Amino acid sequence: MPDWAGPVARYILETGLPATLKISAAAVVGSAMIGIVFGTLLTIDFRPSRMLIRGYIEIFRGLPILVTVFVVYFGLPALSQTLKFEPVPATAIALILWGSAQVAEATRGAVVSIPREQHEAASALGFGWVGRHRFVILPQAFRRLLPPFVSLLVNIVQNSTLAAVIGGIELLQASKSQVERLTFFPPAGIGEIHAVEIFGAVMVLFFLISFPLTRLAAYLERRLIV
Amino acid sequence: MLLATYDLWAFVSENWRELLDGLVNTLKVSAIAIAGSFVIGLVLGAARAHRIPVVSQLTAVYVEIIRNTPILVQIFMLFYALPQIGIRLDAFTTAWLSVMIWGGAFNSENFRAGFEAVPQRYREAGFALGFGRLGTFLNVTLPIGGRIALPSSINTYISVLKNTSLMYVIGYAELTTTAINIANLTLETLEALTVLGVVYLALVWSLSAAIRMLESRLALPESR
Repeated sequence: MPDWAGPVARYILETGLPATLKISAAAVVGSAMIGIVFGTLLTIDFRPSRMLIRGYIEIFRGLPILVTVFVVYFGLPALSQTLKFEPVPATAIALILWGSAQVAEATRGAVVSIPREQHEAASALGFGWVGRHRFVILPQAFRRLLPPFVSLLVNIVQNSTLAAVIGGIELLQASKSQVERLTFFPPAGIGEIHAVEIFGAVMVLFFLISFPLTRLAAYLERRLIV
Repeated sequence: MLLATYDLWAFVSENWRELLDGLVNTLKVSAIAIAGSFVIGLVLGAARAHRIPVVSQLTAVYVEIIRNTPILVQIFMLFYALPQIGIRLDAFTTAWLSVMIWGGAFNSENFRAGFEAVPQRYREAGFALGFGRLGTFLNVTLPIGGRIALPSSINTYISVLKNTSLMYVIGYAELTTTAINIANLTLETLEALTVLGVVYLALVWSLSAAIRMLESRLALPESR
């Protein structure tokens, strides 16, 4: 290992990685909560609510995520100063808007796939709409939701790099700043370019996070079919 | 508070030339990348479905690397890291090349799945009719498997189009870069974002509509 690698790795792992994990965790939890509620509400035969949720899904699935990031980071503050966010939370919010649309669509499909009899049986047991979905329908739908959920997690981890575009220090931005620092003359840097090694290492790091998850998603998918 | 001065019409009429150039660049990069990822997907998907030695394994490695690393890092690799080893790509080349490599990986999976979904007995029927391996592929596997793969491959092309917006990070003047740069100059942030939203949604929604239309028109007779 060359001398420069130690401090670079420490900065990327201590400053960049936690932000990537924070964005990803917040985005996954937020997407799941909003998406499952929206997806379940979408199965209700009430036109106004259905149209609103449908619009939400189509808009945030249709926009490039980077544009959604810009809407949150540049657009919201232009509407009101109270909606000003730092780059890292702004990215998390944008990923929640996108991810919840994905989850809502998947949830709708999963809920619809549960046979009518389950609804009727739950109603016969005295469950209201909320109880019926909370205790009977969603637990069964969840099995079907698991593979798309794991895929979503992979996508969210990868898209957390979008924070780098607006200057949020996560894995990619941290490594970019280290590449730039090394090109400076001493004492700040060493006057050398090491972009291939550093960005290569970042690719490896993302691969190590993503690959087991994509395998898991594929496995869950296969298990579901049988 | 920029809402009070919101004037979409003024923004568009003052900047339509630049915005149009940006849109043209987005479409140009997308078209090259989509055509390229179609060819990559077709060839490598066929190689994987037919388990052609070496090519098949190399394709698997290519697909896993691209699928499991963020496209933004791939773009950085091409644009900021390759010059270190003497390969300099300009912004335009990086733009189409990076999304083409990305789309090609996803598309070879789409086509592999499509070709593998063609029942073995159809191919045996092709052999029985006297077709060779290539003849069977061109006359049996491709028309049937290609139709199966079409909806998912169009989804990949939609993602390719959306991913061209990432060229903002290398300063290539496609639609997103153009609109945001104008907004930074004129502070017409909301107008620029409105234009971006409307144009991208129009493009993506019409492509999605095309999928639904093609799906029903190209559906295999037995699944109708």
